[in-house]
Amino acid sequence: MMKSLRTFFQTYRKIKQKATAFSAVVVVFLFGLFAQAYMHDFNLVYITLFFVFSFAFSAAPIGILNLGRLSATFVHSGRFFAKQDGNISLKITNNSPVASWAITVHGMSVSKPLAKLNAGNFAIVHLNFTPKNRGSFSYKSCYMQSKYPLSTVRLTLPIDEHYEGIAYPEPKGKRLSSFLNEQEAQHGEEKEFDGLQTYDGTQKISYIHWASVAKGELSVKLFSKDLYVPNLIFDFHKAATNDEARLSQLCLWALECEKKHLPFSIKMPRGYLSSAKESIDEILSTLAKH
Amino acid sequence: MKFLALLQNTNWKLTRIFPLTLLDMAYITVLLPIFIMLKAPMMLFSLIVLVILFFKKSPASKKLIFFIFMLGSLAIYLSLYGAFSFSGLSRLKIFLELLIYVLIVVVSMQRLTREINLYLIVSPFLFLALSLFFYHGMLMLVYVVFEVFFLLWMILAHRMEGSLVESFRSSMLMFMYSLPWVVVLFIFFPRISFEHANYGFKGEVIKRMGHDGTMFIDGNALLVPSERIVMEVGFEGEIPAEDTLYFRGSILYVDKKDHWKPLPAYPKRETRVNRPLQGKVSNYKVTLYPTQKRWLYLLDMPKKEVKGSTLDRDLITRVDKNIKEPVHYLASSLLSHTFYDVLDEATYRASTLYYKDRNPQAYIVAQEIKNKYPLKEKRASAVVDFFKAQALTYTLQPDALDINRSTDSFLFDKRRGYCVHYASSFVTMARMTGIPSRIVTGYKSDKSESLDNYLVVKEKDAHAWAELYINSQWVRFETTTTARYIDMQNQLNSIQQENPTLQSINLYLMYVKYQVETWILYYSHARQLQLLDYAKKNPMFIVVFVLSLIVLLIITFVIIAYLRRPMYSSEALYILQPLLKSLKKRGYTRKKEESIHQFLLHYISDNPQHLEVKEIDILYEKILYASNTSKLELVLLKKLIKKSLATH
Repeated sequence: MMKSLRTFFQTYRKIKQKATAFSAVVVVFLFGLFAQAYMHDFNLVYITLFFVFSFAFSAAPIGILNLGRLSATFVHSGRFFAKQDGNISLKITNNSPVASWAITVHGMSVSKPLAKLNAGNFAIVHLNFTPKNRGSFSYKSCYMQSKYPLSTVRLTLPIDEHYEGIAYPEPKGKRLSSFLNEQEAQHGEEKEFDGLQTYDGTQKISYIHWASVAKGELSVKLFSKDLYVPNLIFDFHKAATNDEARLSQLCLWALECEKKHLPFSIKMPRGYLSSAKESIDEILSTLAKH
Repeated sequence: MKFLALLQNTNWKLTRIFPLTLLDMAYITVLLPIFIMLKAPMMLFSLIVLVILFFKKSPASKKLIFFIFMLGSLAIYLSLYGAFSFSGLSRLKIFLELLIYVLIVVVSMQRLTREINLYLIVSPFLFLALSLFFYHGMLMLVYVVFEVFFLLWMILAHRMEGSLVESFRSSMLMFMYSLPWVVVLFIFFPRISFEHANYGFKGEVIKRMGHDGTMFIDGNALLVPSERIVMEVGFEGEIPAEDTLYFRGSILYVDKKDHWKPLPAYPKRETRVNRPLQGKVSNYKVTLYPTQKRWLYLLDMPKKEVKGSTLDRDLITRVDKNIKEPVHYLASSLLSHTFYDVLDEATYRASTLYYKDRNPQAYIVAQEIKNKYPLKEKRASAVVDFFKAQALTYTLQPDALDINRSTDSFLFDKRRGYCVHYASSFVTMARMTGIPSRIVTGYKSDKSESLDNYLVVKEKDAHAWAELYINSQWVRFETTTTARYIDMQNQLNSIQQENPTLQSINLYLMYVKYQVETWILYYSHARQLQLLDYAKKNPMFIVVFVLSLIVLLIITFVIIAYLRRPMYSSEALYILQPLLKSLKKRGYTRKKEESIHQFLLHYISDNPQHLEVKEIDILYEKILYASNTSKLELVLLKKLIKKSLATH
């Protein structure tokens, strides 16, 4: 009992309470009932008045019990790119022996409702986030809110943790295939093709094998020159005309290389970044922080 | 809790309710008592709206809403037609009716749009508050508590996205949280309000019979063998002895041949000589139902006047206006069959007047007694003996008396009658012997209609008796005891009418109703002071009271703990919990994605020596996947778990 009370008061301190507009309605209703009871001395009115009063005042502790046993932690949320929509993921765990109801998880200018969270369970909530610029960012000031049970009190449980992330440069510019075409001359001319592969949208239109298309398969010709793994070296200075565009271009190429499993290097103003030595995320982070 | 289980077993999809349906359910609940009091046009309007709502599943057009508005206005006009007078408008009831009608029309219009706004949400509470003006009985008390709970349930169902099962559980929880506060507030909240008002809402048309201030002895004699309750009396201590339960109504002096009347107002009577009454004090609380008369009934002999009434020199209690609704009063009496009085001229004349020509036979006997016994008490005893010697029969179906010589007719010819005939003849004869006498009418209660300190007085308890002035005291004489025979057939008929078990149940129900009315419906500032006073005098009462509150709190917390208990998907899983807790203590915690079987296998692989756990696992799986689970298997599982916990 004492332990429960202690836990309750600890939770109580964590939670902020604010009366809602509906509480004003309840106050008016209470006043009306009191006037009715006072004028006529009807005990039925007194009973109704006391019930409404008790409900209104027990709403806050019940709400605290509903919200207070929830905990939230940020979980791995994937990559973020400048000016592109991403999701911050929060793991909301209900540590209470009973389900929690009508919770809203608020992030920076977004909120997600969570109708019910069963006892001992957790839910992953994705909050939309679009970084404005590349570089490090901090996602903070998150909180959980609930008006359970009567909408008379808005209870807010701040989430102490904050998410430290990095927004990579916005991937945009020329496609990797364009870059490779420019490099084509270095690998000889097209001759007989060595086989077929399924068209994935990145290959040249001229590579489409029309004979297989006629059979109902969308295939492209595979040339020996393409099987050649080029030693891709992207030059920071040659990538585009200004730094932001260069970083965006390099980011796009790095991502495409990752997709095609192509090793690459980036010649930066101060040294090289190599996919053989560093992970893609490390390379992207270096670009983001440039 | 069976209801909760039933709800849980109900199809989940069916228990998810849309907000508009929740609102409809709330409206139906709060409007039910209001519908009963609606006038016909308004009721017809409501039915039309209900039919439209039932068939129309899309938002109503502006034309339809306008039509409803016009129809509603017409219904209001017709419902209140005739009440629109200045005198009518001065009554709050008319205003409230108007308010309710307007509210119904406006709510109907808004509901037809199928849009929920604040107004539509708040209106059920307004209806609830308004209905409280019109009803104030036991049934409404129960209904109000139900309404309050139901509205809470609907609010929570809305907040919990229409889940009726979970919201019911939460409502119960919240209700239990609130209950101790409601009890404490109800007892201690200062009642500083005005007097209990009625504004014409609750006036009863039916009046209680049995006593009306005159006493006929001809065919108009008031005989009401009815079970209708006239009064409910709660005594502070034990109910006094049966022979003291005389509730004094009016005093009749004037013999008008076929009936007896009180003294007219014009003879100026002196106030009673204030001499303290003697007798055992009895304090009691009376609930008197509408009699449409002005008398309040107090036990013989009233000690002091009841608040708001007057007590005259004959110890008769009256109020200024006819009693048209239940009256509650605290009274105090000295249980005595006599009281001291000094007769003034008017009283003496009235109480000694008789006409010897009307009843010559009785007069001759009375003169013999008068001459034989100089002392008045001896004369009175002689009259009693004479009555006894006449072999009179007590019957509720007497033969008609010759009204021109009613006393002679009763004593010498017919010899059959009930209280009025006995009292009338006895007083006439006592006067003939020279003893000032009068008739007292009221109620003589029957102790068989009592439970603990609660006594019911019914219409059939109406009674008349005599008071004779002997040695400066008015002495009560129960004249019906002079009857030698009782018309058994007559009595049996009235006894056989009711089954004793039913009668007893009925009495218990009335007792409960009375207690609820006393302690809840009519709990007042006076009762608060009474409680406080009682607590001051009895410190043990405070201890008992505090203990009762603690018990209430404990019960509440037990119910709350029960309602907040974790819910398991099966009984077997519930039985398994002690083992899972024990394993957790040993460092084995079940992972989210892990099934019970996987978890137990994991434990068994680490602890192969714990064979019971393997047995438990097998049995649990069997119970879980068997189409029919027997109770025996569950008991066995419980035993195995117990054994396992005891071993390790």
